[in-house]
Amino acid sequence: MRASEDQLKTWMVEGLDGNAASHAALLRALVPVLRAFYRRRVGDGDAIEDIVQETLIAVHTRRISYDRERVFSAWLFAIARYKMIDHFRRTRQTCPIEDVEDILFAAGFEDEANARMDVDQLLAALPEKQARAIRETRIDGHSVADAARTAGISESDVKISVHRGLKALSARIRGERL
Amino acid sequence: MNTDSLIETLARDVGPVPRHAVGRRLLFGLLAGGTVTVLLIAVSLGFRSDLGLAMHGFTFWMKWAYTMSLGFAAIAMVARLARPEPVHLSAFWPVVIPFVLLAIVAIAEMAHVPSGDWLAMWLGQSWKRCPWLVLMLSAPIFAGLLWSFRRLAPTRLRAAGAAAGLAAGAWAATLYCLHCPEVSALFVLTWYSLGILLAAAIGALVGPLVMRW
Repeated sequence: MRASEDQLKTWMVEGLDGNAASHAALLRALVPVLRAFYRRRVGDGDAIEDIVQETLIAVHTRRISYDRERVFSAWLFAIARYKMIDHFRRTRQTCPIEDVEDILFAAGFEDEANARMDVDQLLAALPEKQARAIRETRIDGHSVADAARTAGISESDVKISVHRGLKALSARIRGERL
Repeated sequence: MNTDSLIETLARDVGPVPRHAVGRRLLFGLLAGGTVTVLLIAVSLGFRSDLGLAMHGFTFWMKWAYTMSLGFAAIAMVARLARPEPVHLSAFWPVVIPFVLLAIVAIAEMAHVPSGDWLAMWLGQSWKRCPWLVLMLSAPIFAGLLWSFRRLAPTRLRAAGAAAGLAAGAWAATLYCLHCPEVSALFVLTWYSLGILLAAAIGALVGPLVMRW
C-alpha cells in the first residue's frame, strides 16, 4: 500500500529531527512511489532502478533543503523530476512528447483539454449545421465566406446559423445555472 | 548495489537537521568565503588609511547601504533557488531597488556639482581597476556558496548560479569598501555595479556546470 502525504511528511520531519528509523522507513516507502513515477515517464526500463537509487541518495544528502512548513510531495517530486531530466540529458535521450506536457504544464494542459471537452459537449447539443458554423467561424477562426464555401451554403445562412446556435447555447447555459 | 542495502547504508548516517538549516549553511559558506576575501584585501590591497574617519561620513555608509542591500536581496534569491520547488523568477524584481535608489542619489549628487566635473567624478581614481578587483574578490565567496550548495537542491542551475554570483559580487564589493577610497555615488553605481554584474554573469555561465547534482 502507498504511504500518504501525511505519513511521508511525518517520517521526513522525524528523520530531520535525527530519528534514523523514521528516515529508513521514509526511504523504503519512497521506493514504490518513485518506481511508479519513473515507470510512467522513462522509456528505458533498465535505467529505472538506477534513477530511483540516485533519487534516494539525493533525498538523503540534500534533505536540509526541505522546509518543514511545506508540502513534502512537492519537494520530493521536484527532486524526482530534476533527476529524470538529468538522466535524459546524460543519456542524450529526448522526452516522449506526451510526457513533456506532463512535466512542464500538467495543470495548464489539463485545463485546456477540459475546456475543449466542454465546448465539444455544448456544440454536440446543437443541430449539425449550427454547430459546424460556430466551430468554423468562432473556434477555428475561419472567415464567414470560407465557412459558407466549405459547407456549400450562403454567407447569410452561416451568419444566421451562428446567431441561432449561440442564442441556443446561452439559453442552455443560463438554464443549467438557474 | 541493491536498493535495500543502499537504504540501510544511507539510514546509518542520520544527524539531526536544525530549523533554518538552509540559511545556516548559506551563512557558513558566505562567512568562510568572506574571511578569505578580507585576508586577500589585507594582504594585497591594504585597508584605506582613513577607514576610521571615513566610517563617520556619509559616502562610506551610502556605499555600504548599496552593496549590503544588494547582498541581502541576492542571498534571499539564493535561498529560494536552493530549494527544488518551482519558482517564478519575476518574484525577484525587488533586487533592482538598491540600484534605483543609488541612481537617485547619483542624480542628486550631479545636480550639486558643476557639469565640468562630472567626468572626473564618474571615473574617480580607480575606474579601471575597480570592477576587476570586485570580480576577483568575489571568487572566494562564490566558492563558499558552492560549498553550501553541495547539500542543497537547486533545480534551476543557471538562475541559482547567477544569484550566487550576484551575492558573491555584492558581498565582495561590501568588503572592497574597506579598501576603496572613492566617494561618488556615480562611481559606485557604474563601476561597483559592473564588477557585481560580471560576477553574476559568470555565475550564470558556470552554474549549470558546477552546481549539477
